[in-house]
Amino acid sequence: MPAGGRAPAARALRLGVAGPVGVGKSSLIATVCRALGAELRIGVITNDIYTDEDARFLRSAGVLEPERIRAVETGACPHTAIRDDVTANLLATEDLERDFDPLDLVIIESGGDNLTATFSPALVDAQIFVLDVAGGGDVARKGGPGIGRADLLVVNKTDLAPHVGVDVAQMVSDASAARENRAVVALSRSDDASVAQLRAWVLGVLDSFRAGAHVAQDPGPMAPHFHADEDGGYVHSHDDDGRAHDHAHTH
Amino acid sequence: MTTPHALSVAMLLADARLPSGGHAHSASLEPALLGGMPTASVPAWLVGRATTVSLVEAGTAVVTARLLAEVSDGGFGLADVVRAWAARTTAPALRDAARLLGRGYLRLARTLWSDAAAVRALVAHDAAHGPLPRAIVLGAIAAATGLPAADTVRLTVYDDAQTAASALLKLEPLDPVTPAHWVLEACAAAEQHVLRVAACTTPEDIPASGSPQTEGWAQAHALLSQRLFRA
Ligand SMILES: Nc1nc2c(ncn2[C@@H]2O[C@H](COP(=O)(O)OP(=O)(O)O)[C@@H](O)[C@H]2O)c(=O)[nH]1
Ligand SMILES: [Mg+2]
Repeated sequence: MPAGGRAPAARALRLGVAGPVGVGKSSLIATVCRALGAELRIGVITNDIYTDEDARFLRSAGVLEPERIRAVETGACPHTAIRDDVTANLLATEDLERDFDPLDLVIIESGGDNLTATFSPALVDAQIFVLDVAGGGDVARKGGPGIGRADLLVVNKTDLAPHVGVDVAQMVSDASAARENRAVVALSRSDDASVAQLRAWVLGVLDSFRAGAHVAQDPGPMAPHFHADEDGGYVHSHDDDGRAHDHAHTH
Repeated sequence: MTTPHALSVAMLLADARLPSGGHAHSASLEPALLGGMPTASVPAWLVGRATTVSLVEAGTAVVTARLLAEVSDGGFGLADVVRAWAARTTAPALRDAARLLGRGYLRLARTLWSDAAAVRALVAHDAAHGPLPRAIVLGAIAAATGLPAADTVRLTVYDDAQTAASALLKLEPLDPVTPAHWVLEACAAAEQHVLRVAACTTPEDIPASGSPQTEGWAQAHALLSQRLFRA
């Protein structure tokens, strides 16, 4: 449960959107605002790496009152700001919730780091991890904490699939396998059916959050990964049992 | 119940990994570099801060700690200390950044030292009057944990220099060991002021050693649409 203030069901659902730079996180947030802005009171926090461009993009998209979109500086460490030290984002979230009380949904966009950056459950109640087809069909299969265990995986920009030689159905089925059947949406902002799926997913999480049934999941900062050794290696998970690991390795 | 030694508390507070929002700040370094200060001037600039603005922060923390530990009864309250700090920190951008850091610090302090009267006093003040600057919150933590005044001053000086030094590595290419050396030089330069600042008891005692150029750079930086750090 995120720290601070009221009990979960009494405040806005805090939804994180993570994934590498350029996969369409800001656009997805604009899509959600467009699809749900009429029925939900929404606020947005962006974590830009160097500019407040994401916040300005969303303000200019006209999907939300500009004052409801705020940018947070991350000191060149976007992954720190959503995981190791979420203070700045929590303060911004609390400010938004106070200034526009009551809000239903606060969406926090990660600065977009790499495949291992995921939100701490101290900051968000649920998170979406975004990939795009242009990154290649293999990415979903390779996995990672966000791909494997975010509440929702979005395979974005499916309209581009024919141009980049990616089989969307295959990519989604690889992703579903890597996720042990957690939710996956194949999205394109120009495909209304896929936007409806995304919209339904957000409303579903909000309902379960309000009912007190939703439990924030931590995808973990690390994916299970492979260690080569003379016996051929073994797969190693960092989040299975909480035991200390006494080996060092670089990533 | 066992309690940690004040030195351990100081180490915790000086650790950049402490989750209190500090990683998004550069202790005025990014504003200075974007304002045109050459990288070669950073060591001298660090010494300058350690012997001016850092002492304003340190004096504010020391006076706050005395007030909240009920050691001083000079007929002044928390609001007077805040006012004295604000009068010595003239740039609104720096006061805003300090209050943001103060909120992060208080969020941490109210969890770690939830029973301490000094911390509770600040939480009540914050709720009634709005966010307090970081130096005031540090003073409350010092009162709550028994951090000696001289160490509060050293901690303030060190934290400021180290914040700028680690920000520098993200802004300019250089050997990471180099700024570590500069941090120690800045701390050494402040040492001759430590006992004087540690002896502050009233708001009037807080050093008034400002840095107008830093204030100007901070104001300009706050208006930028491209920056890595908050201030
Ligand atoms: N073809 C296509 N392009 C998209 C889609 N969503 C986003 N984009 C484009 O992808 C680029 C990066 O999007 P942005 O939302 O800024 O990505 P972010 O860095 O993850 O926030 C922009 O040029 C968008 O217009 C989509 O569904 N289809
Ligand atoms: Mg973006």
